[in-house]
Amino acid sequence: MAKDPLDEAGLHFDELNKLRVLEPEVNQQTTELKEECKDFVDKIGQFQKIVGGLIELVDELAKEAETEKMKAIGARNLLKSVAKQREAQQQQLQALIAEKKMQLERYRIEYEALCKVEAEQNEFIDQFILQK
Amino acid sequence: MRLKTSLLKEPKHRELVSCVGWTTADELYSCSEDHQILRWNLLNNETNVVVNMQEDIYPIDLHWFPKSSGGKKQALAEIFVLTSTDGKFHLVSKTGRIEKSVEAHRGAVLAGRWNYDGTALITAGEDGQIKIWSKSGMLRSTLAQQGSPVYSVAWAPDCDRILYTSGKQLIVKPLQPSSKVQQWKAHDGIILKVDWNSVNDLILSGAEDCRYKVWDCYGRLLYVSSPHDYPITSVAWAPDGEVFAVGSFNTLRLCDKTGWSYALEKPNTGSVFGVAWSADGTQLAGACGNGHVIFAHVVEQRWEWKSFQITLTKRRAMQVRNVLNDAVDMLEFRDRVVKASLANGHLVVTTSLQCYVYSTKNWNTPLIFDLKEGTVSLIVQTERHFLLVDGGGIYVYSYEGRLVSSPKFQGMRTDILNAQSVSISNDTIAIRDKTDEKVVYLFDAQTGKPLGDGKPLTHKMEVMEIALDQCGPASDRKIALIDKNRDLYLSSVRHLSRSEHSIIKIGTMVKTIAWNDSVNILSGVQDEQFTVWYYPGAVFVDKDLLPKTLLMKDASELSSTPHILSYVGTQVTVRRVDGSLVYNAVSPYPAILHEYASTARWEDALRLCRFAKDQALWACLAGMAVANRELTTAEVAYAAIGEVDKVQYINFIKELPSKESSLAHMLLFSGHLQEAEATLMQAGLTYQAIQVHINLYNWDRALELAVKHKTHVDTVLAHRQKFLQDFGKKETNKRFLQYSEGVEVDWEKIQAKIEMELAKERERAATTSVRSSVAARR
Repeated sequence: MAKDPLDEAGLHFDELNKLRVLEPEVNQQTTELKEECKDFVDKIGQFQKIVGGLIELVDELAKEAETEKMKAIGARNLLKSVAKQREAQQQQLQALIAEKKMQLERYRIEYEALCKVEAEQNEFIDQFILQK
Repeated sequence: MRLKTSLLKEPKHRELVSCVGWTTADELYSCSEDHQILRWNLLNNETNVVVNMQEDIYPIDLHWFPKSSGGKKQALAEIFVLTSTDGKFHLVSKTGRIEKSVEAHRGAVLAGRWNYDGTALITAGEDGQIKIWSKSGMLRSTLAQQGSPVYSVAWAPDCDRILYTSGKQLIVKPLQPSSKVQQWKAHDGIILKVDWNSVNDLILSGAEDCRYKVWDCYGRLLYVSSPHDYPITSVAWAPDGEVFAVGSFNTLRLCDKTGWSYALEKPNTGSVFGVAWSADGTQLAGACGNGHVIFAHVVEQRWEWKSFQITLTKRRAMQVRNVLNDAVDMLEFRDRVVKASLANGHLVVTTSLQCYVYSTKNWNTPLIFDLKEGTVSLIVQTERHFLLVDGGGIYVYSYEGRLVSSPKFQGMRTDILNAQSVSISNDTIAIRDKTDEKVVYLFDAQTGKPLGDGKPLTHKMEVMEIALDQCGPASDRKIALIDKNRDLYLSSVRHLSRSEHSIIKIGTMVKTIAWNDSVNILSGVQDEQFTVWYYPGAVFVDKDLLPKTLLMKDASELSSTPHILSYVGTQVTVRRVDGSLVYNAVSPYPAILHEYASTARWEDALRLCRFAKDQALWACLAGMAVANRELTTAEVAYAAIGEVDKVQYINFIKELPSKESSLAHMLLFSGHLQEAEATLMQAGLTYQAIQVHINLYNWDRALELAVKHKTHVDTVLAHRQKFLQDFGKKETNKRFLQYSEGVEVDWEKIQAKIEMELAKERERAATTSVRSSVAARR
């Protein structure tokens, strides 16, 4: 078949018999490509969103892990200091106990002195009664 | 006794508080490193900022200008000195305005202290210098200079000396440049704080070796504490010198003046950098390292008398417990209780404004009267009245609340009087002078006027402690005093003759004494012995008798510095150096004997002595009988203690013809030669007086009398000759040589003359015998 002179001029007719510059096939492929590109962009966007969410999540996790870590360190330190605190408290209580012990010793001496006085007085009474 | 502390939840200062100072009993100023001065009002619990100081002022120490004693208005009274790290001290007014800043030291000024009358200020610096400044902040002199910082400084009570720290050493330096400096090693660490009390003259020091120590003013160690966990950062005497406070890390301690601790508090304060007592001595404030200011007041003080036990439960309430029936009474007061005293059946309580007098028979209706001038620093009770000491004077009140008298003397300083330097009995008041400690002023309690010719009693040594006996007639009033050598002396307060007060030593190494409240029996701790002088008056009657009238008990358990709290009835209460109370029972017989003697029931007294079979009791009776010229009883008593010579002498006295000569011989018996002579001469018995001197080999006086009265010169010479012959000596006395020339000695003549004199006396006595025999029997 002889070449369509229109073809040669670079003009084509499509199915709807409209005059076109591009070949209908190419045109169709271009359109397809365009569609595909759009699809691709959409998909990439979606992917980015998902990845963003993931990063956020991981960040959050990291933060949490960090705080937990701090907490753990704090708790560990506290544990150490509690021992010291107890020591200090113990020291304080020891001092108070020592004080009370001294007071007790004073009372003991006082009691002994009073016992002695009582004995003396009893002796005196006995003597008094015997002599009468 | 213990401290009741109060601490806010949140500190008011942002930085550590370095110093605190009281203005009145309810207002406190505190300075902190946040450059603020805060005023704390305890009445309405308000705290407000007085001033925000410049950023470069870091305060270290503050001290209020002393309130003038004697009630004079002072223009400068509302000012305090504030020292800071930049080497300056600032005079700051009550409103917080800095009146004056003075460049004082290189490096920080570590301490600043006014003296007691406010005439001088002393500052101590990091540069090791101590400087004295005038009231207005002009430099007077640099007192001392050393290589290490002076952390603390204190004035002596007399303002003539200062005490300061030098590393581990304490130094007492008089202001006079030439006087001797005392220096001693006091601690094993750097000394951080010292204080010197004006009332009891004791020194207190706290150091980095975690101990606090109590010293007397000569640097003798009286008490050393056991080591604490942290350095002692502050010490402070209460104004009355009875207790002191010690501050350390998270620690506040209340201690007795002898050093033992009443109470320990462990508040959450950080280190307590400064402690200050309010002027009435009822509460204290501490400057805390964590920005807090801690307040504490003293509660649970105890008073005991016979069966009553009184406790200060709260600031304004007391609980009275009668241990016999367990009856409990609560006493409430309008203001804070400042001082209280329980003795002789009465409780005297002073608050900041009023005085309450309770009888132990009735706790419901006290007698209340207003006080002239706030703070009472001392209450001393006796049977009929009591004595109050405040900043302005000394007042004697009866238990009915009537002002009886108010004794005064030149240069009296009431703020430094304590129970050792004041004594009162029903009729007499004795006060030891402060400027000259050898002098004891005596006053009539009823009128407040000086006794006798107004001359005070002067001892040859500094007097440390005085005590008046509590009963018997006023004319017999005696004062016991302990001097600096710890010798115990007894003297009569009202003396009949115009001669000097005779002060007789009755004990050595006496640490403490107390008279019984109802009988004139003295108890004390002598060296290692607990001693009771059953009849101290014996020393005026028959000196040799005194050692026999003592009760001595081993008291090694009383150790170094015991203190007799009271001697009531038959019980002596002694506080040991460690603070424990020890009781000693004294036999009731001497008290009964005293009563018999004072009512002249000699028969009963004899019976009592025979019953008790106690040598000491017999000796007391002998003394009492002689003092009352009761010869028959005395004879029996002396016989009982085996003093044959004295029995003989008494027999001799009994046979004397006249009243006068027997009186004279009684005086001789007690060793009062001059009085005996005077008695005889008054009665015109010249020969007897001469004979007395001859018998005592008192030749000069015998001759002097004989020559003066132109009689019996030959008698004297004859006896002298005989004496010389007996001893194979030659006459060397010029006067005897002179008189013996013109006088012939004829023994027969002399005998005749003596006979004549005796007959004359007998004759004279016969005329008065009726009267005298009646008197003797009575």
